[in-house]
Amino acid sequence: MTDSRKRYLQVPQGTEGVHLEEAYRHRRINQELFTLFTQWGYLPVETPVFDFYDIYEPLLRGSARDVYRLIDREGDLLMLRSDITLFLAKQMGLWLREEDLPTRVCYADTILRHQSAEDISKNEFFQTGAELIGKAGSEADLEILLLLESIFIKLGITPDIHLGSHQFLTLALKDFEEESIKLAIRAIRNREGDLLKEIIERGASRRRTEVITALFSFIGNRSEFIEEMNKYEGTLHNEEMEALEYLAELAGQMEELGYGKDLQIDLSEVGAQPYYTGIVFQVYHPGLDDAVASGGRYDKLLSRFGFDCPSVGFSMMLRKIENQVAEKFTLPEDIVKVEGKTFAEAFRAAQRVREKGGIAIQ
Amino acid sequence: MSYVASDTPLTMALPKGRLFEQVQEFFGKRGFHFKFEKRKLVAYDESGLLKIFLVKNADLPTYVNHGIAGLGISGEDVIYETGLRFFKLMQFDFGSTAMCLAAQKGLGKPDTIRTVSVATKFPRFARDYFYSRGVPIQIIKLNGSVELAPILGLAPYIVDLVETGNTLRANNLEVVDTLKEINVHLISNPSYYKLNYRRINSFVAALHKKEEPSE
Repeated sequence: MTDSRKRYLQVPQGTEGVHLEEAYRHRRINQELFTLFTQWGYLPVETPVFDFYDIYEPLLRGSARDVYRLIDREGDLLMLRSDITLFLAKQMGLWLREEDLPTRVCYADTILRHQSAEDISKNEFFQTGAELIGKAGSEADLEILLLLESIFIKLGITPDIHLGSHQFLTLALKDFEEESIKLAIRAIRNREGDLLKEIIERGASRRRTEVITALFSFIGNRSEFIEEMNKYEGTLHNEEMEALEYLAELAGQMEELGYGKDLQIDLSEVGAQPYYTGIVFQVYHPGLDDAVASGGRYDKLLSRFGFDCPSVGFSMMLRKIENQVAEKFTLPEDIVKVEGKTFAEAFRAAQRVREKGGIAIQ
Repeated sequence: MSYVASDTPLTMALPKGRLFEQVQEFFGKRGFHFKFEKRKLVAYDESGLLKIFLVKNADLPTYVNHGIAGLGISGEDVIYETGLRFFKLMQFDFGSTAMCLAAQKGLGKPDTIRTVSVATKFPRFARDYFYSRGVPIQIIKLNGSVELAPILGLAPYIVDLVETGNTLRANNLEVVDTLKEINVHLISNPSYYKLNYRRINSFVAALHKKEEPSE
């Protein structure tokens, strides 16, 4: 075999092949999640493999460079599916009617993103998730958070859910110019307290700067959050306090239902994507270099595609977590190897095992 | 829930080279003492809070990005070149330097219309800096001894870190423009921080404390 041919037998970066035991596990996990989604009334949606790039371009922000683009025979610029949430929003925006609402949808599919050589462990190959479309308010937010936690209970792991508020971010920075807001979001997300302080103090009093900076670096459980919040009563505007109280209420409702033990209120979670409007969250699990799931409320996203209605949901990079739950999804052990004098005899014996729900090889 | 149990050390990567001794001294003055046995690349601080890996400066962000080391100490030059996202938890007051544009004495600033060649170890930084200012440049990537490029005629300009300027002067070069002050930061893998924020916050608070009086 020539050297160049050997080179083309490798798998290019950004995609993968999954085989046998690993592929079996992947499918089993997917089956479990699909059953769970169905039990909660979420129906599947399949999105296109590629779509017109230009309609998504304003929503991509920093992730645009990771998108694979191609030009079709008519000369239109296309993008391969890099984020199902976006493709789904367009599909739903085009397809839904008022009388369909609320609609509960779920998805599980491959995505394609460029991965740099320094960053190959991201495992961003397969995205699964759910969305509750057409329902605003705390019950919808709560349902999505409970569904998310139920997935992890089903998988047998207890990651931390970090819950923040894009709404609070919008309110706290409403008097700032767009460029300063962009810089502030970056400082908040990267926990650069000094840089954030520098930006905020250009447009706020010293006391307000201190409060805003402290809040955006806060992480803690519900009672710690309430304690923190109460320190700033009087400094924050009413709407800002309401946005914070809403997070405490959600966390409290989770607790009342016996969930949310590993829920952290984390105001540095402001959402990497520009389309969030309400709650935002990310899920972290030990042994993983990045969040395994993320989501939130995006009430204006669908309107970009022609249908104005609220929406809340999450997506999860399933391949990241599959190794962590490997023990729960092992290959079946009780495989019967049926012997017979002839193939037909062995086949009939194997069929009898299969009819009883067993696994048999003739 | 904190996933690194209190008896499990926090993991941290430190860069070999010029920064290492400054970090060791800074940490020592705040009660975190450690040393590496000959040829060993892993060490624990005496309190057992930190498990420290010694890695090549340019590779440090990769270790932290993959979560092999949850924390790391690195200059902004190296962090920027990787293009990866980290939390910057603390800026140190040592190791600061400047990213500069330099050329042979008397050449002056580059033409902002005609493309000029720039040799550098920091192609991402150089590209972003000049492109965002509309200055057309061509980048020649080098891995070291960048000062040679103008002398040998590879490129009239270089972008490099300048600490004292002695190397430039010795090669008849001068700083034409200071592009950015480069500081040293304590960085963290975002996920690692989120899972261990309580312990990391108290560690950072301890680093912010004034020096312990010497015995």
